[in-house]
Amino acid sequence: MTRHHPDSLTLMEYSAGNLSEPRALCIRLHLEQCPECRGRVDTLDSLGAVMMDQQPKVSVSDTSFEQLMARIDEAPEDTSPVAEAPKVSPLQKLLGQDINDLPWKRQLGDVSVLDITDKFPDQHDRVVLQKLVAGGKAPAHTHKGDETTVILQGAFSDQNGVFNQWDFVSLDEHDEHRPVAVGNEDCITLSVLSAPVKLTGTFTRLLNPFIR
Amino acid sequence: MIAIKRSTHATVKERPVTTLDQKPAKAEGRKDPWGVLLEKVGKHQDRAAYQALFEHFAPQIKYYAISNGIANHAEELVQEVFISIWRRSCLYDWRKAAASTWIFTIARNQRIDMLRKLQRRNAEMAVETEDLWQIPGENEDEPVTSLHRLMSERRIRESLGQLPEEQITVIAKVYMEHKSHQMVADELGIPLGTVKSRVRLALNKLKVILQDQNV
Repeated sequence: MTRHHPDSLTLMEYSAGNLSEPRALCIRLHLEQCPECRGRVDTLDSLGAVMMDQQPKVSVSDTSFEQLMARIDEAPEDTSPVAEAPKVSPLQKLLGQDINDLPWKRQLGDVSVLDITDKFPDQHDRVVLQKLVAGGKAPAHTHKGDETTVILQGAFSDQNGVFNQWDFVSLDEHDEHRPVAVGNEDCITLSVLSAPVKLTGTFTRLLNPFIR
Repeated sequence: MIAIKRSTHATVKERPVTTLDQKPAKAEGRKDPWGVLLEKVGKHQDRAAYQALFEHFAPQIKYYAISNGIANHAEELVQEVFISIWRRSCLYDWRKAAASTWIFTIARNQRIDMLRKLQRRNAEMAVETEDLWQIPGENEDEPVTSLHRLMSERRIRESLGQLPEEQITVIAKVYMEHKSHQMVADELGIPLGTVKSRVRLALNKLKVILQDQNV
């Protein structure tokens, strides 16, 4: 059971459909494992329905329904009932392989990264997978702008506590932390960054190309 | 602790199913009228039911498109939403979501899809909108939240009437105008913190906020 959840305002932006695709992915991965937050999103989706109902209505064109029926009659293959799609994790769909087997790029010591921003065309966030080997330490750093992280495997700890698989972490420029991977597994995270990470420790120069 | 919680959920999950078999009248009473129509479309491709849904929801969806800044594609969005309703209604289960909530999520996803298509310059993305924004009830192993879902829409309708106008305005801009909290703050000329606290107060009233997040 996860213990660190997205805050309600973020869930509302998700429910309203206003988050970028990579940020929505982080929420989705958390929701798959968190019944509590799924319940909150359900309530928010209902809020959306009630808002839509209470707003003004605009008449559709007179032929709108006829057009719809014509489309259903004329192109039955495009309008036939859908079968329930087999459940595949969006992460699996995106990466196509096990996260441990990805072409990780080792940066320094315990940290490896893989930039997957190009999998999300037409948006401005940077999307990176990061891996901290079991027992490894990441350099101290702060964050410029907002960073959304979901833990895909393993766990890490910092001064704010222990973050386990599927936990959700939001960081901004006020947060400086030095994560340590805990447990027997490598800790792998998916992070969406709106601005470059700023290093504060001694590795600043070395790591700058990595945590830009 | 967790095990106990799960078994409670399992009981909740079983109950409505049995009720449905033994006392259909009582179970039917829980259905909302739109859910009944949706099931008719899903099971029998009932066109009269489909038209009734269209007449009620199409004008809402058209306004939703216009307020979201895609007025030129408003009729098109209505068409796409209703094609999607036609195709997916066989997956609709009234025990898992109120009909209007289900239709809202379809309208939202079709709006996201349409914006993706309008903006698309590069190759297709590997994940689809439905992989990121789920339609309630689809691909769910445990319908634990079903009763909560049915209750929540009624509760929200009631609670929303008690919220001050300034909180509803902010929520409406987020849901209907596709605006971030920052954009709402800029438009209303108030600090971001004020927007966030109005939303928090509203969500607190609507019981969306977790205990440990109360501020």
